[in-house]
Amino acid sequence: MENLTLPKDKLPEMLAEIAAKFTLIGPKEETGFTEFQEIDNPKDINLDYLISRVPPKSLFFQQTETLFAFTKGKKAKVETPKIDPGKRIIFGIRPCDARGYALLNPVLDGQKEGDYQDPFYKQRRDRSTLVGISCNEPDVNCFCTSFDIGPASTKNLDLLFTDLGDKYYIDVITKKGEDLINSLSKLFVKATEEEKKDRNKVEKTAVASITRKMETEGAVEKLGKMFNHEYWEQISRRCIGCGICTYLCPTCHCFDIQDENTLKEGGRIRVWDSCMNPEYTHHASGHNPRPSRMNRVRNRVYHKFNYYPKNDGDFLCTGCGRCIDYCPVNIDIINIINDVKEIEL
Amino acid sequence: MADNRELIKAVKETVSREDVKYVIGYKKGTYGFQIMPAFAYDTKEAEEFIFSPLCAKNLATYPKLEEKLPLRRGDKEDTRKVGVVVKGCDSRAIVQIVQEKGLKREDVVLIGIPCKGVIDPKKIDKMFPKQRELAEVEEDESNNYLVTINGKTHKVPKNELISDVCRSCEYPNPVAYDILIGSEIEEVEVENFERVENLETKSLEERWAYWENHFSKCIRCYACREACPLCYCNECMVDLLEPQWVRRSVNLSENTAWNVMRAFHLAGRCISCGECERACPVNIPLMELNKFVEKEVRAMFDYTSGIDEEAKPLLGMFKPDDPEDFIL
Amino acid sequence: MKGENPYKPSLAKIADITLEASGDRAIRTFRLEFQDEDIRKNFTFKPGQFVMISVLGVGESTFAISSSPTQKGYFEVSAMRYGKHTKALHQKEVGDIVGARGPYGNNFPVDEWKGKNILFIGGGIGQAPLRSVINYCIDNRKDYGNLEIIYGARTSKDLCFKREFEEMAKMDNLNTHLSIDVEEEGWNHFVGFVPTNLMRLKPSPENTIAITCGPPIMIKFVIENLVKLGFKDEQIYTTLEMRMKCGVGMCGRCNIGNLYVCKDGPVFSWDQIKDLEGDM
Repeated sequence: MENLTLPKDKLPEMLAEIAAKFTLIGPKEETGFTEFQEIDNPKDINLDYLISRVPPKSLFFQQTETLFAFTKGKKAKVETPKIDPGKRIIFGIRPCDARGYALLNPVLDGQKEGDYQDPFYKQRRDRSTLVGISCNEPDVNCFCTSFDIGPASTKNLDLLFTDLGDKYYIDVITKKGEDLINSLSKLFVKATEEEKKDRNKVEKTAVASITRKMETEGAVEKLGKMFNHEYWEQISRRCIGCGICTYLCPTCHCFDIQDENTLKEGGRIRVWDSCMNPEYTHHASGHNPRPSRMNRVRNRVYHKFNYYPKNDGDFLCTGCGRCIDYCPVNIDIINIINDVKEIEL
Repeated sequence: MADNRELIKAVKETVSREDVKYVIGYKKGTYGFQIMPAFAYDTKEAEEFIFSPLCAKNLATYPKLEEKLPLRRGDKEDTRKVGVVVKGCDSRAIVQIVQEKGLKREDVVLIGIPCKGVIDPKKIDKMFPKQRELAEVEEDESNNYLVTINGKTHKVPKNELISDVCRSCEYPNPVAYDILIGSEIEEVEVENFERVENLETKSLEERWAYWENHFSKCIRCYACREACPLCYCNECMVDLLEPQWVRRSVNLSENTAWNVMRAFHLAGRCISCGECERACPVNIPLMELNKFVEKEVRAMFDYTSGIDEEAKPLLGMFKPDDPEDFIL
Repeated sequence: MKGENPYKPSLAKIADITLEASGDRAIRTFRLEFQDEDIRKNFTFKPGQFVMISVLGVGESTFAISSSPTQKGYFEVSAMRYGKHTKALHQKEVGDIVGARGPYGNNFPVDEWKGKNILFIGGGIGQAPLRSVINYCIDNRKDYGNLEIIYGARTSKDLCFKREFEEMAKMDNLNTHLSIDVEEEGWNHFVGFVPTNLMRLKPSPENTIAITCGPPIMIKFVIENLVKLGFKDEQIYTTLEMRMKCGVGMCGRCNIGNLYVCKDGPVFSWDQIKDLEGDM
């Protein structure tokens, strides 16, 4: 299908139709920040935001998930809960968060020999259509261009809307996106060459306004050589172990499993966990392979920039900048990797 | 306000002492209005220390964060002191921890700085968004902040940028210190509990609706707990599994339990530094809860936390003449 | 199988419980049989793999399978009573139901070791995964050369599998060397730590594979001593443990460097992990 445009004043109509036919999830502002929620009234959608506070990984990889329900005793039973089928259209995803999904796929939906799949993540992802929005004005700590994407990148999305002022330019990227367009009434117009040029201009301006860059070239090899360097001690001294970086990161996926029940029945639930917590690797015997903050901060940096690349080929980072924006002690991942490049061994 | 040169001199003096391991203070961050905690192990590193209205972080969390790792055979534990740069509220935190026997007063060297209030990072970010270059802020004599960005200085009334907790700060001067930088501040605010009165006038239904809205957003990241200088329990009640007090699943019921229980565990201990509210990524107005409890504590026990090193912690002691008419 | 819920266990009945060590740190061996007949008939594993056992409503833990795959119809795990979950497990009785899922992880390459001598060095509860390989070798005796077993525990009460050691003492071509850490009345064998016992016995590295498992500190010294005795890195194998939750490579907590103990392990040869020592 060719690319399309949609006049801006028709957007509420399109969203209302989606909300009526499917489930619409979009960015809503409440209590001073934006998060992805189910939208009934398209007026609730707030597109003035740049990125949501909590990343949209929470839509597929939910914070609390019941893995199975059980009844105890001699007649014990275990049962996987049904996830209700129904199409979800997620509107307003930024290209960096879309890359986050692509990075979570090898972990939660691994396709290599011997990998297991998480049915909850998979089912939710399979029945969702991702409609992205380009970032016309990136923020200070955006560095998505340091990875293979940009503020108007079409990677990992089904449709991409770019704001051209009075209309949206729509890149139709996958079959899923095409199906969505076909199922909506004819509000769209084929895009002209002129409009395509406008869209590229918007992209170019946005890319130029991204000032911070992470030097990722050679990071994997360099990190492999400096595991015991004193740099990690210096950089982690001020870490207070709050874990905000892990909760707000679109690619962090560590989780905890606990049983929660009443006397006879209950469920095994999965909740987000953080490697910054000392209990994370605490053995029952009392031994803790990562006893100090230095070990944990170093492990986080290595997981993102050395271990995951070695196992699955790409950096486990999307360049969204949330960890830099919300770290209370200003631990700056861009500076860390750039420092790593400069350090002489 | 404090003179940076005087501060650096005091830090150099402290770090040169034989019995001091390192000194913790503030230095310039990596972008915009950021300030990062700095650790000076020698006099050279001390030169980077600064103090400005942007230095909001409560450094009193660090002395308790030091890990006691197992030692190699033959090595002795390094029991030297730690120097900390403290504002009024930070020093109260240290005093409160000393009261509870969490630290010994001799283990820390306090470099006190009288403080007229710090800037709320959310407010200044809203006023001057997308700052890449490092900016500087000073306070002038007429209650304005002078914000210098890229060479241009903007004058902003203090009221528009100051942190809410600092509005009613009763202790601008450090209550305990070994070295004092600059001179003590004469005018002191009076605690009027204005944030609490907001809630007190609402009906019960309105209050539940208000807090339900906020607690349902809580993501249980526990940043409030880690940022708080007084949350230093080795095993927090919310991490315990035997027995389990608060479940780990994230829903309104458990989130309410966590936030309310934390406020109760801080009764008679919270020193109103506002770090919890600053750290919270989902904007929960935690100081309203803490201030509410503080108001009750003052009314019932006429007790203020973190003032007197020799005082006994409020809820950790029992006097024979405490009222018991509700028991017998 | 793809599409299924990897976190959901199958239900298994406790067929037998043996008390191996009593006291505070009690160790019991549980013999488990799957309730579902198809699963019970078709369940198979290789020595070194692990399962996740759970007491429904309490929690789940990782246990190495301590029986050999040559023993059909059931599998055994040996558990020490330590935390919330293992305390609940130790209170179970024969006939009770627990959840079991697995087998996960890689295994000892027992097929590659045919024709070699095998040296087992175990400490305390660490003997459990080694027992799987020992029984496998005994059941396929012709395929392997000399079998030497060095095993030690804190006190004689903490030694596991005493009955089997008595039987093995009577076998030819198999030598057992027991030890305890501190002198005890009536103890006739070596007194001292397992790594010390290893240096005292000086086994030859000629055509030998060495496998060790035990507390982290014991593994460290045993491997140091094996290297001193001339064993090459590829001849030394160990099985490690980390705190685990999912067991299938998704929750991220069991990593040592870029290797996940639940997926790339728990069996590792020394040349695979010697550079990652800082993270163990």
